[in-house]
Amino acid sequence: MPRTRLKIRIVLVAALAGALVALTATVAGASRLTGTHLSGAGSTFVQPLVNKWISPVKSQLGTALTYNGVGSTGGVTAIDSRGVDMGMSDAPLSQFPGKCTNCVQMPWALAGTAVVYNLPSLPYLHISGPVLAQMFNCTITKWNAPAIKALNPGRTLPNTTIFPVHRTDGSGTTYNFTDFLSKVSSAWRNGPGTGTSVSWPSCGGNALGGSHSSGVSGVVKGQVGSIGYVDVYYAKSNSLQYMDVKNAAGKYIQPTLASFKAAGSSDTTPNSNGVISIVYPSASFPTAYPICTYTYVDVQKTGNGSQAPVIRKFLNWAIHTGQSYGPALLFQPLDPGVVTWDTNNAIPHIGS
Amino acid sequence: MSTAGHGALTRTKILKRQQAVSRAMEGVAWLAAFTAVAILVVVVWSVARRGASQLSFDFLTKPQIAYDPTQPQGLANAFVGTFVIVAIATAMALPFGILVAIYVNEFATRWIRNAIGLVLDLLQGVPAIVIGFFVFGLIVLPLHQQSALAASFALAVMMLPLVARTTIEVLKLVPSSLREASLGLGVPRWRTVVGVVLPQSVGGTLTGVTLAVARVAGETAPILFTSSLVANGTSWNPTHALMTVPLAIFELSDQPDLPSQQRAWAAAFVLLMFILFASLAARWLATRSKRKLGRAR
Amino acid sequence: MRLGDFVLQGVAGAAAFASLGLVALIVIEIVHRARPAYSAFGFSFVYRVIWDPVHDVYGAGSYLFGTVITSFGALLLAAPLAIGIGLFLSELAPKGILAPVTALVETLAAIPSVVIGLWGLIVLAPFLRDHVDPALHSVLGFIPLFGQAAVGPSLFTAIIVLTIMILPIIASISRELFLAVPSELKEGALGLGATRWQMVRGVSLSYSRSGIAAAMILGLGRALGEAIAVTQVIGGGTEILWNLFTPGDTLASKIAANYQGTSGLLETPALLYLATILLVFSLITSVLAQLIVRHAARQHGAQ
Repeated sequence: MPRTRLKIRIVLVAALAGALVALTATVAGASRLTGTHLSGAGSTFVQPLVNKWISPVKSQLGTALTYNGVGSTGGVTAIDSRGVDMGMSDAPLSQFPGKCTNCVQMPWALAGTAVVYNLPSLPYLHISGPVLAQMFNCTITKWNAPAIKALNPGRTLPNTTIFPVHRTDGSGTTYNFTDFLSKVSSAWRNGPGTGTSVSWPSCGGNALGGSHSSGVSGVVKGQVGSIGYVDVYYAKSNSLQYMDVKNAAGKYIQPTLASFKAAGSSDTTPNSNGVISIVYPSASFPTAYPICTYTYVDVQKTGNGSQAPVIRKFLNWAIHTGQSYGPALLFQPLDPGVVTWDTNNAIPHIGS
Repeated sequence: MSTAGHGALTRTKILKRQQAVSRAMEGVAWLAAFTAVAILVVVVWSVARRGASQLSFDFLTKPQIAYDPTQPQGLANAFVGTFVIVAIATAMALPFGILVAIYVNEFATRWIRNAIGLVLDLLQGVPAIVIGFFVFGLIVLPLHQQSALAASFALAVMMLPLVARTTIEVLKLVPSSLREASLGLGVPRWRTVVGVVLPQSVGGTLTGVTLAVARVAGETAPILFTSSLVANGTSWNPTHALMTVPLAIFELSDQPDLPSQQRAWAAAFVLLMFILFASLAARWLATRSKRKLGRAR
Repeated sequence: MRLGDFVLQGVAGAAAFASLGLVALIVIEIVHRARPAYSAFGFSFVYRVIWDPVHDVYGAGSYLFGTVITSFGALLLAAPLAIGIGLFLSELAPKGILAPVTALVETLAAIPSVVIGLWGLIVLAPFLRDHVDPALHSVLGFIPLFGQAAVGPSLFTAIIVLTIMILPIIASISRELFLAVPSELKEGALGLGATRWQMVRGVSLSYSRSGIAAAMILGLGRALGEAIAVTQVIGGGTEILWNLFTPGDTLASKIAANYQGTSGLLETPALLYLATILLVFSLITSVLAQLIVRHAARQHGAQ
């Protein structure tokens, strides 16, 4: 009996040792998938475009691109910890102090944020920045408030409670939206301010949160009277109601490619850090949609090894050929000035 | 003044009321048990109904491909990741737990026995999210990278108290006569422990391990900080962050679109079935080992 | 001969002492990483109600509130239910259904938190919002706790979810406690003419008093530390609102909600500060439960 037991124990130990050996072999043999693979993570804002790029990048460049839409904050965390080759964020790195301090940042796509809401049979309501700020600041609490009625003469607004919906995850879309609110409302600027994650007033419990664009869209769809913000492509492809937003010239603008282009023309040169702000362009751009943003890609300057040329080749493709895939997804192709800046000042700095 | 008859009537009335109260409380207890069973049935039924219909060969073998909704989607990457992480965690926790149990049962003084017992209880009480954060600070931050290995370490820390405790219990059950006989025959202490006592406890340890696996396979919190920023595609590489089934459910549960929710239910169904199966296996092992040890006496 | 013994004792001893050090290591690591937040905010962090990554100011106030309300609320609901189940399984269950029901109660404990959270979010929350919350509001609305109900994810939903999760622990410990009551005491009471309930109340419950207290504290500890299921159903609220039907947040849930990263410079240390508070709670509840059990064992030993 004891001998058989001993044999069993020997077999078990041997199996365990074998498994450990196999494991070590896997670990030693498998390195980070390189050469024909590129990994990116971050913004859900740019995700539809990046996803669209995966097939052509594979066939034209021979590179397998993988992308994980964890949100802008997640993307910056990922590239900071070198868990991916590229981080995508709609918010500039200045919003993430201490992260990705030795990175290249460049704008590589342009689109807008839609203000979505849920009021059946009341499409395309008009809204202005200051009123929007008051809604999210809890100073306007009902849809038939005088301020909202004034922007929408001739429409019957119901006595429904306003439920402001925000992103609970760290989001570049939040950054874009709060950037806009800060520009049009001093109360907002001095209060919650601009950021990927802000201290949203809770409106006595009426303020709701959703994770990622899909979460916000789900909350808005499920709660009559709610108002939120998601990227425009998401709003349109999920049939969400969205508003016409008043710009600096006093016009109510729908989020369309033309209005994005107009906003983009307000500034076509990134600053030395690669950042451009096109939120709430001045009145000289009467057809501009006021809540537009560039979205950025962040890459470590050093330590990329053999991935460096692959990254550079991909980014070059993205800002040239890649842009043609944009319009169908409501991304306005980059202005030549931006493309030039990226080519000269950003991509060359991506080293091994 | 009460006559005997009047007193008897009052006594009967009081008795009747007391009986009624007793029966009512019995009813309450029945109701409580019924509520617990009802909750379980409702939850399992919800998961089964919404999840089982989504199961398909594709679901089990294809990874999650975010970029092409037209392609069949699955959660193969999550199943692989969970397997790798739990396997490595078991490989870490099992020898450690057995060694701790051996020390407690064979070598330790009473003071140390109590101290380790207390520590194991404290460890079991630490919330999973804190353990995840602990491993994040210990391993992920210094290395600047998440990995399945870090997640395994977190799970191993959670498995340790369970494995150690069960092994201690089962070692205690091994009759001292066995030890004395072996030592009396001149077998050295260490061989007695390893060759005579330990084999008797294999069944109990296996039970402990199975229970621990059932427990940690479904844990999400320790994974959040150690293996959540994962690349798409199925990978077996433990030095990378790998997707896991609980995390997949967690992330999918936030999505309001129907396909994502359906995948969440399907994954929940698979996870639940695995855990129920593992719990049943543990129970069977426990009965078997108890019977064996009973015979050895 | 001696070498083998020495090696085994050494290796096993190393493992044992490593496990002793593990808890200490956890405390040290968490506290160390939280230090920047502690230096910046001091003790006032614990009660301040703010979480502002833009201005880099944080406070645990609203999360502490949420943790206390949801955990104690869940205990309030789960304890009587669990004790009832324990009584049922030890005294009342007919032979045929004793084993299956015991197994079923233990199975409830095995369901992973993320599955309960998924069910809670998609099935329970809408049900509570549409049927239970309004009913409670109309009956108990004069109490601010049961105010207007509008949304599914809320403190109340979290309380129900936590109740379901801590029910099995308290129930199975209660069951063992009642089974351990010496039968002479029980039969003695019955022999004196006590009804079943009088026997339970006078003998079983009072004999197991401390054990049940310990079980409840363990259940409380479990509820305090639950992150996943809570964060899925609690709605991520940021202020202290006394209406149970509004979104809220707890310490564990806030930590889980930020797993993808933080933007403020002090935000991660602030989250670790939350984890420190949580760790302190869990250690206190574990030690308290242990002390009660030991005290009770001594008492019963002396009897």
